[in-house]
Amino acid sequence: MTTDHRDPRRPRANGPTDVAGHEVRAEGTTLPTLPGDTHAHVQAETATGSRTLWGDAWRRLRKNKLAIVGLVWIVAVLIMTISADLWVPPLFGDPLAVNTTPGASLQAPSLTHPFGTDKLGRDVLSRVVYGARVSLTVGVLAVSISLAIGLLLGALSGYYGRFVDSLVMRSADVFFAFPYILFAIALIAVLGPSYRNVFIAIGILGWPSIARVFRSSILSVKENEYVDAARAMGASDFRIMFRHIMPNAIAPIIVYGTMSIGGAIITEAALSFLGMGVQPPTPSWGLMLSDAKSLMFRAPWLTIWPGFAILTTVLAFVLMGDGMRDALDVKMKD
Amino acid sequence: MTELLRVENLCKYFPVEQGVLTSRIGRKVHAVDDVSFSINAGETLGLVGESGCGKSTTGRCVMRLLEPTSGTITFDGRDVGSMKRTALKAFRRDVQIIFQDPYASLNPRMTIGEIVWEPLLVHGIGDREERRNRVKELLEVVGLNPEHINRYPHEFSGGQRQRIGIARALALQPKLIVCDEPVSALDVSIQAQVVNLLDELQDTFGLTYLFIAHDLSVIRHISDRVAVMYLGKIVEMGDWRGLYDEPHHPYTQSLLSAVPVPDPVKQRTRERIILQGDVPSPIDPPSGCRFHTRCPIAQFPKCAEEEPPLAEVAPDHRAACHFAKPFPINLQGGSADAG
Amino acid sequence: MPALLEVKNLATHFTTRDGIVKAVDGVSFTLEQGKILAVVGESGSGKSVTALSIMRLVAEPQGRIVSGEVLFKGDDVLKMNDSQVRELRGDRIAMIFQDPMTSLNPVFRVGRQIGESLVLHKGMSRKEAFERAAELLDMVGIPHPRERARDYPHQFSGGMRQRAMIAMALACDPDILIADEPTTALDVTIQAQILELMMEMQERTGAAIIIITHDLGVVADMADDVMVMYAGKQVEYGTSDQVFYRPLHPYTWGLLASLPRHDVDEKGALRPIAGQPPSLINVPSGCAFHPRCPHARGLCSADAPELIDANSGHLAACHISPDERLLLQPPGRGGGVR
Repeated sequence: MTTDHRDPRRPRANGPTDVAGHEVRAEGTTLPTLPGDTHAHVQAETATGSRTLWGDAWRRLRKNKLAIVGLVWIVAVLIMTISADLWVPPLFGDPLAVNTTPGASLQAPSLTHPFGTDKLGRDVLSRVVYGARVSLTVGVLAVSISLAIGLLLGALSGYYGRFVDSLVMRSADVFFAFPYILFAIALIAVLGPSYRNVFIAIGILGWPSIARVFRSSILSVKENEYVDAARAMGASDFRIMFRHIMPNAIAPIIVYGTMSIGGAIITEAALSFLGMGVQPPTPSWGLMLSDAKSLMFRAPWLTIWPGFAILTTVLAFVLMGDGMRDALDVKMKD
Repeated sequence: MTELLRVENLCKYFPVEQGVLTSRIGRKVHAVDDVSFSINAGETLGLVGESGCGKSTTGRCVMRLLEPTSGTITFDGRDVGSMKRTALKAFRRDVQIIFQDPYASLNPRMTIGEIVWEPLLVHGIGDREERRNRVKELLEVVGLNPEHINRYPHEFSGGQRQRIGIARALALQPKLIVCDEPVSALDVSIQAQVVNLLDELQDTFGLTYLFIAHDLSVIRHISDRVAVMYLGKIVEMGDWRGLYDEPHHPYTQSLLSAVPVPDPVKQRTRERIILQGDVPSPIDPPSGCRFHTRCPIAQFPKCAEEEPPLAEVAPDHRAACHFAKPFPINLQGGSADAG
Repeated sequence: MPALLEVKNLATHFTTRDGIVKAVDGVSFTLEQGKILAVVGESGSGKSVTALSIMRLVAEPQGRIVSGEVLFKGDDVLKMNDSQVRELRGDRIAMIFQDPMTSLNPVFRVGRQIGESLVLHKGMSRKEAFERAAELLDMVGIPHPRERARDYPHQFSGGMRQRAMIAMALACDPDILIADEPTTALDVTIQAQILELMMEMQERTGAAIIIITHDLGVVADMADDVMVMYAGKQVEYGTSDQVFYRPLHPYTWGLLASLPRHDVDEKGALRPIAGQPPSLINVPSGCAFHPRCPHARGLCSADAPELIDANSGHLAACHISPDERLLLQPPGRGGGVR
């Protein structure tokens, strides 16, 4: 223990070392140099000027190499498919052109057919490129449908709660209770197998996850005091929803949506593989795999190339989504 | 002195959430139970208590951010409970709130300019140019650099964010501000900056505060009158000086004696009452006086059976205790006669 | 005989995407048997990292103890191998954390968690350890300890969990107890219980305590010695009475003047420290406190002051000379004089 047990009532004038013997509060004296000035302009920590949040997100995304690899791959695939009509048929032939001349089918990769030909003599490279059209279109459209339904129901569920919430979430549970691919097959069996019905089916099946993610995101954003602050200033429900809740709740949806495109591509491939998706002769990666399954060892290029296309494209979307998760997090500074 | 806010017999019960198939009726959290107080214009009422005592719930009911279960709230002669859309919006111009968490209380996707601007926009005050000037003026008033108008909240520290929240609350020139633990998330040196700012703003703009906090020292510093809450009830209320110098309720006394004083000699020598046990659950509050389970002076069976009324014990000083008597606390340290 | 714990020039740095954070930058102190040392500072001052560094619990690889010595009874903890450190942790040096809600594992019974270190360090059987855990719970004032030892953490209230944490920390009868903001998450009446309990346990077991806190009231209540930290640096060190009644560093003056008090008669104005705490990535040059210091001069931004013994073990890192300090009349508490 210390030896400095002084009598609390002893006047401070005692003791020459009593430098600090000064009760500021009680004596009400002011220390001329101690700043009581709360008005001193306090500088923000960062010296740089203002930036937009999306700009910030983009800067963070750019630093994530894997996400950029994903993005570059997606853009490359997009450019390839969009411009396909210009260069694929003249160079490698029409993806639908059946060549029945002897020796034309099941050619191994060569200069004229870099990915080889299938059993009907069609160019595999040409079919893989056009297959990307189907995959990307189905992926994007299916996820758009899921988003449209999922966001609306998720928002209602999260914002209004109670009865609406129970109704939406219990229906989502019903959807979750069915084995996914079987449900898709059943749905297509009702709608009839076609290109259009594939993305409709995948889209319809995708909403519950989106609704769930969005709902929980809204619920957590809603707990923030800035939402109470908006209510306390008299802001309308509409304003609170669209200005305060949505922008903060949407980040996980962007991430999840991006990754779902990959998922939708896989589902399309699976359905087409099972014959319940895109119908021949339209080129689709799943369909190509299905056609190739009996020739896997005789003509491995028939499985390798569409398989590679599915793998890389899906991976690209997942990497992108993962990168966006970090990029969109406001709290992560640089 | 005119009365600005009157709260009478305010109750707020929350249903206890249970499973999907089990009944939701029956058990309730008695967050606020029969609370009455009033605040005069220009004064600060401090509402103090430990976590779960209902002080924040009371604040939110006053703002109608929560709908009270029962009771009446009168603001400036108007009944807040019966207000519909337009009246409520007008009411919200007059009553604003400052929150505890400087991180959760600002929308991270809005610039600080937009945040302070928003109330003006919602209430259609001024044109673009006027609003812009007003925002700059407000940032200046709370001690921020108006040039930072385009920055986002994450670029600021906790104390600065709290200033932004204060600027937003001031934007509509409210009469009453509910301060819900506005400094408890801040470091000591920053806390003092914000407390001083709130003090100054009160003088400048003639504001009335309902100041909610768990820190007895902060409450004492800022309040004119103080109400102490325990388990959803006000147990003691009065002028700050009377309440701190001569607390009549044993809970107030133990609370005051439990706060350690930043002065080693005083702290070593002063008397302390250490309460036993924990605060009981508000789902099933104790019968009679809610404090009887931990009270050092409880007498049975009276305290466990009869609920004590909040009765006057001195001018502008009421306490809810059957055995209320002045307990002069020796907070000053030294021997008992020093106080 | 060597001191119980001697920390010399300890520095712990973290590598972040923005650069190197010097969380602890040259901290030295000595802890004697049976003493209570309080480490005071605001958030980001490096007080918690100091504690973690002593226990070698800094998360690697981002965090690294870059220099210094931590001598426990003369042996350098920083030079020990992993198994030696593990023997030390929980046995000779125990720790209590801030958040009683997350520092107990929810899937194990409280008794088992308390007994864990006894099984680990003292070679007790599970059953013996459980028995001992019940005794420990009894010692920290939990009623019906034998039944409560069978409970899971969620069945305990916040105050009871912190008691259980203390029981766990004391299980092996450690020489040093490090408490990192042990009462910050608790209500005042519960805080009073826990502080009382810690002092009682300290007297009973003779353990030395390092208490990390931002609450000067808690410091005044418990500490023999006080270390004040700012931006990773030690700015002042002395006995509790020295630091409260004759503080040397302007930062300590600022802290004391910022506090609202309920133990003085009149309400005085609070005198906050101007400005904001510095970012640890761009720590101001010279004395880190100089941008907020009302007494700063040219020297302060150029030259980092050394920690100098001003008066019988009362250390401060400040360029203000003793004579000048007399004139400045800093806001000490003058031994309770009013």
